[in-house]
Amino acid sequence: MMIAEMAKDTAGAEKRCEAAYAKAQALQPKLNDVITFVDPKEQLAKLPAEGLMRGVPVALKDNVCTKGIRTTAGSRILENYVPIYNANIVDRLAAAGAVTIAKASMDELAMGGTNLTCFQGPVYNPWDQTRMSGGSSGGSAVLVASGVVPMAIGSDTGDSIRKPASFCGVVGVKPSYGRISRYGIIPYASSLDHVGYFTRSIEDACVALKVLAGRDDRDMTSSNRPVPDYPALLNSDLHGRKIAVFKNVIDALPNPETKKMFLDLMAKLQERGAEIGEFEFRDDLMKAMLPTYYLIANCEATANHSNLDGIRFGVRQDGASMEEIMTNSRTKGFGPLIRKRFVIGSYGLFQENQDRLFRKAQKVRRLIVDQAYECFRDYDCLIAPASADIAPRIDDASRDQLSDGYLIAENHMVIGNFGGFPSMSVPMGFEQGCPIGVNLTCRPFEESVMFGLGKAVEEITGYRDLTAEVK
Amino acid sequence: MEEKKDAAYFKRLAHQLMFDLSDAEAEDIVKEFDTLGRQLTLLDAVDTEGVEPMVYPFEEETSFIRADEVSNVISQDEALANVDKKLEGHFVLPKVVK
Amino acid sequence: MDYDVTIGIEIHCELKTRTKMFSGAPCSFGRKANTCTNEVDLGHPGTLPCLNKEAVAQAIKACTALHLTIDPLVRFDRKNYYYSDLPKGFQITQQFHPLGRDGWIMIDTAEGPRRVGIERIHMEEDTAKQFHLSSVNETLLDYNRAGTPLIEIVSRPDITSGEEAQAYVEALRQTLYYIGVSDVKMEEGSMRCDVNVSIKPKGSAHLGTKNEIKNLNSIANVGKAVDYEVGRQKQILESGGRVEQETRRFDEATKTTVLMRKKEGNVDYKFFPEPNIFPIRLDPEWIRQIQASMPELPEARKLRYEKEYGLSDHDINILIANKELSEFFERVMKSTKNAKSACNWLLSDVSAWLNKHETLITDCALKPEDLAKMIGMVDSGKISSAQAKELVDDIMQGRDPEQAAEAKGLKQVSDSGALSAMVNEVLDANPQAIEDFRNGKDRAVGFLVGQVMKKSRGQANPGMVNQLISAELKKRTAQ
Repeated sequence: MMIAEMAKDTAGAEKRCEAAYAKAQALQPKLNDVITFVDPKEQLAKLPAEGLMRGVPVALKDNVCTKGIRTTAGSRILENYVPIYNANIVDRLAAAGAVTIAKASMDELAMGGTNLTCFQGPVYNPWDQTRMSGGSSGGSAVLVASGVVPMAIGSDTGDSIRKPASFCGVVGVKPSYGRISRYGIIPYASSLDHVGYFTRSIEDACVALKVLAGRDDRDMTSSNRPVPDYPALLNSDLHGRKIAVFKNVIDALPNPETKKMFLDLMAKLQERGAEIGEFEFRDDLMKAMLPTYYLIANCEATANHSNLDGIRFGVRQDGASMEEIMTNSRTKGFGPLIRKRFVIGSYGLFQENQDRLFRKAQKVRRLIVDQAYECFRDYDCLIAPASADIAPRIDDASRDQLSDGYLIAENHMVIGNFGGFPSMSVPMGFEQGCPIGVNLTCRPFEESVMFGLGKAVEEITGYRDLTAEVK
Repeated sequence: MEEKKDAAYFKRLAHQLMFDLSDAEAEDIVKEFDTLGRQLTLLDAVDTEGVEPMVYPFEEETSFIRADEVSNVISQDEALANVDKKLEGHFVLPKVVK
Repeated sequence: MDYDVTIGIEIHCELKTRTKMFSGAPCSFGRKANTCTNEVDLGHPGTLPCLNKEAVAQAIKACTALHLTIDPLVRFDRKNYYYSDLPKGFQITQQFHPLGRDGWIMIDTAEGPRRVGIERIHMEEDTAKQFHLSSVNETLLDYNRAGTPLIEIVSRPDITSGEEAQAYVEALRQTLYYIGVSDVKMEEGSMRCDVNVSIKPKGSAHLGTKNEIKNLNSIANVGKAVDYEVGRQKQILESGGRVEQETRRFDEATKTTVLMRKKEGNVDYKFFPEPNIFPIRLDPEWIRQIQASMPELPEARKLRYEKEYGLSDHDINILIANKELSEFFERVMKSTKNAKSACNWLLSDVSAWLNKHETLITDCALKPEDLAKMIGMVDSGKISSAQAKELVDDIMQGRDPEQAAEAKGLKQVSDSGALSAMVNEVLDANPQAIEDFRNGKDRAVGFLVGQVMKKSRGQANPGMVNQLISAELKKRTAQ
């Protein structure tokens, strides 16, 4: 059942939400995708008479602040944090009648791409539990992919929605920067963070965005642009649409199966009337994408999390002085990967280093975004596989950080974060029984165009309402 | 003065950030720093002469500023809800030396 | 050895807005701890800053009053450091693009008026308040103050003495008070002053080592602290020593500066642009409106008083130092032409009464027309100025001076006939005084005037009495 149908099925609301809650708990030992379960009883008692998502069970990535409900951002330092306020999107979802049944697992502080760094351990891919879900929004992706909820909130700073969406066979949407308010979302890197979500169909993605999008005066970066009626505008007609294949990514794809899958899809899109061209980014910019992201993200993150000191909230470790309390709390509370990233981030912000590191990365960011706009001058969409391969095995440590293949094929989606472009992953095909997605990126605030293209892909592949049977 | 980027250096840096690193963790960062160096050569390879840093994803100026009206105040209990130690409505710390 | 003294002053001033700089929680003073905050002020995870329009308006007023050029594109930066009173672990400030640059203010010095340059004014947010409770040996934190809007005013290092430093702070305080953006009370912390002092041998190319003096809690102490510090540094250099870079505080009891901590190099605050606030383009029409509606500044008031009332510089300076008092003065002047008298009454007896009763001129019952009336009564000779002093308490409580004078039987006798009679009576009764006068002892006149005043129970017009006695004495000693 799609969200629109669920919302109209008022009689079935209670049963549906309680079933989702029960299913989440039943699957937890196998998937480990939930940090905090939320009993829907209270919310069910306060449901509005109608709403775009009335009686629809949803999950929230655990970096979404929920008043009175523990919110940890996957980190021990917030293991006991109970927010005193709701994120803007929580209020919007409640107004639309959605019912939260879980706070989903995530990489610690959203800083990761594997969902192996949550304090409570890894999230398992529902299609193959020896494999990762991907991250940092892994828990949310899995809750949707395993059929527990039809929609789950995630966040995307480098590809943290779109990569796990690809690995889990679901639709993963990162809208334009500012389209959804970030007020109440525990940050990673403020100029790259986007709030987004997972669904199992494009039509559900349209409903979700209609509910979540809109100006919030408490977030000074949120957009004032009116919110289009995405569901009403959904149209998969491709005539007149110009799609650019991301040449650098295709050329660097190490896996010929993925390449074939992708090119087949392009041919079918062309058959439906789209004009397929290609766009090539400058090679030096492609290679610089990961370091650009790494520097900007780590530098901003280090500053953002300076408030996590155990003094006003969070897990406080004892100490004889203010410095000791802060130091002990942060040492015990942050995992080693986080502390490592903070050290690098801080290093990049030192006055003597900023020009060479942080500001240099910000300059390269501009060049990358300029290139993207060059593409969008002639094309409505930039398209490429969302990942080169299916989800890696959890034990697989042999991923070379610096080979070309890794750099380019796995990190291109960050362009969507650099320039705030709406970008999403849509299931494309299967290899070894595991899904791979295709990534579409469009011009700022042209989500309707993006959804239309996504719908066309969905119609071609038939992967609508794909659910993994958890063994 | 160019400081040697060894484990001791990173331990000091971490301490400035109000957390500590174990010896193993500090050594790990020394290695990671090496990797960073190699990644940075890729960054340096891009000519950014005359390019302004990009701070925001869009360069749209806003004009909205909030009106000066009380819109959100929480109770003392809510303010202190997330700590164990409180004294007469205050947060408590061991004596802070200036 | 002659020295060049270089002084720069940084002033932080709390703005009088209803809400915080970046959140909709109320600003507070003296409220119960942690009752004027919200999740933003407490630096909770996921919160975002939201700029206060009125804070910007007030900062614009400050820039305008101090002749700074305003940057119409508002941009903020983060200043990163860890401290218990800094909830986010960074302060949102304007490091790279202050709201205003390149202004000045006039100060009065012994050598006459001179300009002190103001390098910049920028907006930022205040920290929480922490204080030590010795009974439990713990530090308590109150976040009511966290996020209160501040402007930081940085002078050019144009100041060269304690006197100038004090004059600068006083002039700044007055201006900021006049435009109504802050209470500017150093004792309450709504204005804070840090002074940087360095000296170098005269003509030397290299500036001396800067020492920072913090925690000055009154304007009077500014001058004292600077003078002491300059003397201290001079002594070090004269004895062949080196001035170390230090942060010092002024000790009230000993009137000296005392070491707080040595400055080990410069702290790296890792400034970078605040990513959560897009640059804000201020509407030039809005800026113009703010500037057009600004109240009169002290320097303008001073010029106006010189022209309109012909008072001395000294009197004007004291009068305008208290904004509300000078405004009251103007209301008095609507009903009288005697500016000097109005000024004197307000600065002496009225002020003394207000101090004694711990009341402000804005809260007392005194009516401007009544003070004017009383001045008129003295000027027309109806009562003496000594008698008027007895009416101060009445008019301060709102009673009509004429009625009060009537009730107290205060009236001045200025009838020459009646006075001559009294004069003759007194002279007749004091032949020794007449003898003294004949022998050249002029103070006999004063004695005799006093006797007439006593006889008349203070009601004789002293001026007239003096004239009549002098004339009568001359007559009687003419033979």
